[in-house]
Amino acid sequence: MKFTFAPEARPLDGYTIKRAVHRGGFGEVYYALSDAGKEVALKLLNNNLDIELRGVRQCLNLKHPNLVTIFDIKQDTDNDYWVVMEFVSGRGLYEVLQDYPSGMPLEEVLFWLDGITAGLSFLHDRGIVHRDLKPANVFQDPGGVKIGDIGLSKYISESRRSAQTQSVGTVYYMAPEVAKGRYGREVDVYAMGIMLYEMLTGKVPFDGQTAAEILMKHLTAEPDLSRLPKEIRPVLSAALEKDPARRTSSSEELQRQFRNVVAAADMTAPVPLAKATPVPAELRSERVRSMESETIVEIDTESVQAGPAGVAALVGFWNAIPTPLQWVVGGAVAWLILESGMWRSVAVGGMVGGVAYLGYQLLSIFVGEPFSASSGPYTKASTPPPAPARRQKKASPTAKAAVPTKPMSARPVTRNTRDRVYTPATLREIGKTHRATDVSTSISVSLAASGLVTAAVFFTTNLLEDSAQAVYFAAVTMLAAWALIIPSKIWEGRSGDSFTRRLCLGSLGLGVGFLAAVLPEYLLISHDELFHGSHSSGRVLIGRVAVSDGSQFPTVACFMIFFAALFSARRWWWQIDSFRKARFRVSSALFTLVIGIIITGMLKDFSFPEALGATWALAISAVVQLSAGWTQVEDRRLSPAPSPTTDPVPPRSVNPQVPLAKAEQASFH
Amino acid sequence: MNSGTLQLDSQHRQNRWCCDTCVPERETALKGNAVAISPSRKFMLWIDGVGAWQLCVGESFVVGAPSFEEKSADIALLADISRKHASIERNGEEWRLTAHQSTAVSGRTVSQDTVLCSGDEIQLAERVRLGFRIPSILSTSAIINFESDHRPSHSVDGIILLADHCLLGPRKDHHVCCTQWSDVVVLFAGDGMLRCRSKVALSVNGQVANDSIELKHGCVVTGEELRFRVEQME
Repeated sequence: MKFTFAPEARPLDGYTIKRAVHRGGFGEVYYALSDAGKEVALKLLNNNLDIELRGVRQCLNLKHPNLVTIFDIKQDTDNDYWVVMEFVSGRGLYEVLQDYPSGMPLEEVLFWLDGITAGLSFLHDRGIVHRDLKPANVFQDPGGVKIGDIGLSKYISESRRSAQTQSVGTVYYMAPEVAKGRYGREVDVYAMGIMLYEMLTGKVPFDGQTAAEILMKHLTAEPDLSRLPKEIRPVLSAALEKDPARRTSSSEELQRQFRNVVAAADMTAPVPLAKATPVPAELRSERVRSMESETIVEIDTESVQAGPAGVAALVGFWNAIPTPLQWVVGGAVAWLILESGMWRSVAVGGMVGGVAYLGYQLLSIFVGEPFSASSGPYTKASTPPPAPARRQKKASPTAKAAVPTKPMSARPVTRNTRDRVYTPATLREIGKTHRATDVSTSISVSLAASGLVTAAVFFTTNLLEDSAQAVYFAAVTMLAAWALIIPSKIWEGRSGDSFTRRLCLGSLGLGVGFLAAVLPEYLLISHDELFHGSHSSGRVLIGRVAVSDGSQFPTVACFMIFFAALFSARRWWWQIDSFRKARFRVSSALFTLVIGIIITGMLKDFSFPEALGATWALAISAVVQLSAGWTQVEDRRLSPAPSPTTDPVPPRSVNPQVPLAKAEQASFH
Repeated sequence: MNSGTLQLDSQHRQNRWCCDTCVPERETALKGNAVAISPSRKFMLWIDGVGAWQLCVGESFVVGAPSFEEKSADIALLADISRKHASIERNGEEWRLTAHQSTAVSGRTVSQDTVLCSGDEIQLAERVRLGFRIPSILSTSAIINFESDHRPSHSVDGIILLADHCLLGPRKDHHVCCTQWSDVVVLFAGDGMLRCRSKVALSVNGQVANDSIELKHGCVVTGEELRFRVEQME
């Protein structure tokens, strides 16, 4: 069940929850009745790492006909904060907008405009910026228009934590300067401008597939004002100015300008703007924009946009195949590559593809479409309070190494986009003991995992000839896995620079390579066949290091280079992170295999054995994914659970209404 | 929750504006008993994430202002109308409105009674307007909307007049539109009891149900994406 509290729950003294209303950006909202019968809305504030109520306390005693009145803030027995506020029974602007997919009649627009202006100017007059103004926060009630969620957005901002991710409210209405962190009441005017545009045309001016794209448009793109009557265009253009200094300065000013223009053009007659009649309920088609205008959207500031449409189709196709089939296909591809010996063509193909993809990335960065944090302004950080995570639909692997941001799909509606997204980039607090346990568990499991993977390689290919070689293979795989898991687990949940991490892993790779090269001597295994490279190009020196010595066998340096390259080429910490999309992703392993092939292809002239190198890449990827700790989606938390000694299971996470597995059938007919 | 009758002085007692609090509960009397369908019963459906709906079951419903001396109207609105202002009756598939005080339907004054069609607007006295709608072609059950915002004493999103079935589901032609639900839940009267059934796996008060479920007062029906509670009023 989605909502934490069931009907008739009494988390607060004096109030009984009757039903859940919705889950908003800041928490769940319930409809409750006091013991006497007074109806209120109870908003459960998301559990936060450090609760700062200063912001809300400022707004506690604000009363205005156009603001949702806050009655009180109370704490329940679990020390969670609840805001007790006025229940607004009417429809919200969000619902009304659904009735008018191509724009509202002008009188209706003016009605909302007047109400929002009155509420906003009252707030601004008291020095408060709303910051999260959007249709989902504006309601209509017999008392008039009411703006809700005042004071809460500032409350959330007090508890910003991390440097990596930034959480924002819905991005459709967000002024460009909010991301830079310096803003004043002009952001509310901007949001009003966006809402006006949406009320008049039925669509938001800046839309996109992901939050990042939309934010980019707020920063750089001009709104398409051609859909508006020409008299109104200058008014909205001023309201949607990117530079706050040049923007319309107050909500009253915007309202005045708008009304002047309307009166001058005598536009009170039903509207050339749009077919004004609301679509009757039975015939109304679904408004396609999703409900997640309330979601807290987390931007992965490390990710890169997904590739062009063809790739997207491929990814979609891959996601559509059921997982067992993916395994079969993946296994078949891997086997083909290993057995066919078509190294060169595959390596070349891989390198060409990689370069082409890289080129596309660079190109689009310059063109300005996708969003990447290293160039973007969104480096200021914050973490939203975690909403209880829901079970997501089965995560499907992507065929690209760069994990794209979970797209906030504007069309069509999908239920999952309401959920908070936990990715390996999510910053979180992990206790020392937990981290240590995680590491030691992963290491222990890696023993078994490398044994398993080696056995698989041993039996399915003729790469390893005898058990001694198998042991060697397993040992190196395991060492490599340790070298990857330990730093990744140390880095888990922390912010860090990708380049530095790669450098670090690369150095560890040098160490592993060295061990891999000298180990056979110590184990006294015959490595002739195993290490036989297919080419040799004579003596090749880099500085004083002999990369190739003219024999058919790779040198120590060659091993070190291979492992260093393999470790730094992939973002291994993503494969190891507890919050990765799925415990084991075939595509991840296969992609590592391709990287391995490419690297061995480049080292081929130095007699590095291709089959061994590629298989190692695949095996290491498999082992780390199998052994690294992984948390189920629903167990993911941004901070450690309360101390196990007091309360082993926080009551919140146990749903009293969960159907029992085997239940006596009552007399149901 | 207490039914909490307010202490009123005699002057207020005479003013029919003051009425009982929200949902009078008779937990002790009804706990564990199935909800019996005798002439015109009222229920509350508290639907998570959707709204609060009043469900009226029966064949004849009184529309009027709340009264606490005698039995309140089935559709009791806080409005400047008489306590028995009009009645809505169902005869098979036909709905009729009988006017006891000044009433108009879709602009036509009703002298005695008239047939109600889907889409009609019922006007009581001067200001109160109710929308009457039969959203689904599969059922004769009707929905009353509060066009003029005159509602019962606590917020209710609408009133369902149950004829045969009531559909709670994601489509616009379902009686209660629950946009996030994956499939429809049907409420109906069977064996004199209020029951519900669905293709979605449902559990009542924690117990998984196979076929149709008897809805007892206070029971909570939970499904994968849904939860609602049924209360019998009065």
